[in-house]
Amino acid sequence: MNLEKVLFSFFMILALTLNFGFFIGAVDNPDHHNVYELYAVIIVNLIATVMKFGDRSQLGAMLLATSLVAVVQLLSAALVWTVAVHIQETGLTPSVMATIVSLSGGAMLANIISVILLMIEAAMLRH
Amino acid sequence: MNLVTSMILRRMRKPFIILITVYSISILGLSLIPGVDDQGNPWKMSFFHAFYYVSFTATTIGFGEIPYALNDAQRLWVISTIYFTVISWLYAIGKILTLVQDETFREAVTRTRFKKSVNNLHEPFYLICGLGETGHEVVSALTEEHYRAVVIEKNKNNMNELKLNELREYVPCITADASDPAQLELAGIKHRLCKGVIAVTSDDQTNLKIAITSKLLHPNIKVACRSELKDYEENMLSFDTDHVVNPYETFAETFAMLIHSPSLHLIFDWLTGAPNTRLTEPLYFRYGHWILCSYGRFGKQLYEKLIEHDIKTTVIEPDPDVVKEFKQQYAEQADDIILGTGIDAKTLNKANVKDSAGIIAGSDNDSNNLSIIMTARAINSDLFVVARQNIYTNSDLYTATKSNLIMRPREIIARMFRALFLNPLLVDYLELALKESEKDIEWPNIVISRLSAVLGEMKPHIWTVNINKEQAPAIMKGLEFGRNINLGHLTQDPASRTRKLHCVPLLYCKANEKISMPEDDTKVEAGDTIMFCGTREVMKSMFWTLKVMSSLNYVMTFKNEPESYVWRLLHRHFFRVERRKTRRRKHS
Repeated sequence: MNLEKVLFSFFMILALTLNFGFFIGAVDNPDHHNVYELYAVIIVNLIATVMKFGDRSQLGAMLLATSLVAVVQLLSAALVWTVAVHIQETGLTPSVMATIVSLSGGAMLANIISVILLMIEAAMLRH
Repeated sequence: MNLVTSMILRRMRKPFIILITVYSISILGLSLIPGVDDQGNPWKMSFFHAFYYVSFTATTIGFGEIPYALNDAQRLWVISTIYFTVISWLYAIGKILTLVQDETFREAVTRTRFKKSVNNLHEPFYLICGLGETGHEVVSALTEEHYRAVVIEKNKNNMNELKLNELREYVPCITADASDPAQLELAGIKHRLCKGVIAVTSDDQTNLKIAITSKLLHPNIKVACRSELKDYEENMLSFDTDHVVNPYETFAETFAMLIHSPSLHLIFDWLTGAPNTRLTEPLYFRYGHWILCSYGRFGKQLYEKLIEHDIKTTVIEPDPDVVKEFKQQYAEQADDIILGTGIDAKTLNKANVKDSAGIIAGSDNDSNNLSIIMTARAINSDLFVVARQNIYTNSDLYTATKSNLIMRPREIIARMFRALFLNPLLVDYLELALKESEKDIEWPNIVISRLSAVLGEMKPHIWTVNINKEQAPAIMKGLEFGRNINLGHLTQDPASRTRKLHCVPLLYCKANEKISMPEDDTKVEAGDTIMFCGTREVMKSMFWTLKVMSSLNYVMTFKNEPESYVWRLLHRHFFRVERRKTRRRKHS
């Protein structure tokens, strides 16, 4: 058992599950989407990304790329949230919420790909 | 991803994760602890404000309690936030600093930088292996002519970057073992613009390996090697190494020139010497009885030349085996060898130093050579002294002995490489000079007098002109129009009708003949190659004639013709009559 692999898989899958938790619910209803969940997804995704830094294998590079995509999507979701609440002070209108959730949905797609890649790697290892 | 970034990223993994964790806990805490705003209403910091707050406290900027004053619960949390975030920042910065000082990391950085600068070369370049005195001499000669060079050197101490920075062109260099093909590849041996490899390391074995590698990896490249041992030289030549320079052999040849004619030796010295050094005075060989100390690889070469010219020579050799070998080889001169080192007056007297014309101190030990010179001079102060210098740092000592001729291997190799790579025709010229002077002993004297007439006090600059579209576009155009251009036009000063350029055409190569010192009326044709000798300024003036049509017109007609379109039209209109006349004259 490789601790690095365990940790990385843990963070990767946790990122996906949290992301799913945030994403699920009516797309334009702020009550269905918790800000702390979004925060947790961002942090977990950041850690998963940093863990793939400097990995020179082909699969490592792919995983870094998918995590980066997820991070970019989630950060833009957070940015939309901040702009809506603090800068323009429109509050979480349905359209704003829909934007945030759909951005996080994109991030979830990237996270799903990461997990699939992770599974492929595990399958390859067994042979 | 290149090695350097991946190294940084891999090392920074842990610090980054610690930073992210500490930040996330701090932000989360701040956003959870209830506080009050300026009106006393309950208020919680949003993630946005919490991130802002942690960012400026973690970096010790400290804007204060923004947006509202904190309560004590928040302050308690902020205390721990400050300590943990600052410590994790310090840890991250410390990691970067240790990485930067890391030996392997630095090497990775220099290698990456080197690789990049080699790949970015967009002009032809030469790869020089070994940056000893010879290597440095060759590099500066090449860069002086604006050729690019790449240097690979094994010994870190020789890699004087400051010295390399003084050169005219940026020279990428790397500390690596040149006998390793991977390193040569890194240095761009396979690069399509690599025009030649110059192997001048002090080790024959390494030079041989470099030559083989170059010929295998980039077959049509020009390879030149330094070699001091006959076996290696033959080995190198066996697989088409273009040039092998053996300093002892080359010196023996110049020594033969000196015996033959002082002027011939002077021609060699002037033409192959480094430009911008002072012209040397002629040396006059002294005929008579000679003494040769030490019959090694240097002594053997010189002895052959001496007996070729019927000069009676006594050899002093410390090794009894070599003495025996000599006696077998030269049965007739068996009495001409004495066992001894030559550093004591006794053996020197035995060799009759008192009535000798010259002495050669040719051992591979500098202390012995210096001692031989001092002892011999004490007995006979009129001796012509030839000294062999082995170690570069002893230069000053040898100069202080005021020997007539000092053999410095590095200098000789640098001379030959300068000629081979900058003006390959010079080698042909020197061969031709040797032949000419054998036919006519006065020939070198005539050359020297012509050279002295145009040269100042400095050694000449030598350049080769190829009559082709790239180097001489104006001439090519003129030839296409059917104009008669001859050598005199090229040596005419394009700035003044009364002055000739201060240069001497040394060699004129036509399709199948080589003319030394061609006359001014030699007809210039496409594809010809001409080697000139003069100063750098003169070369630049000549390039005007070669490249600019109006300059060429001026040296041919001594008229300033207009260049702009309108003036040309007017000119054509007014001078139509005259033009017709000249054309008729040409046809008749």
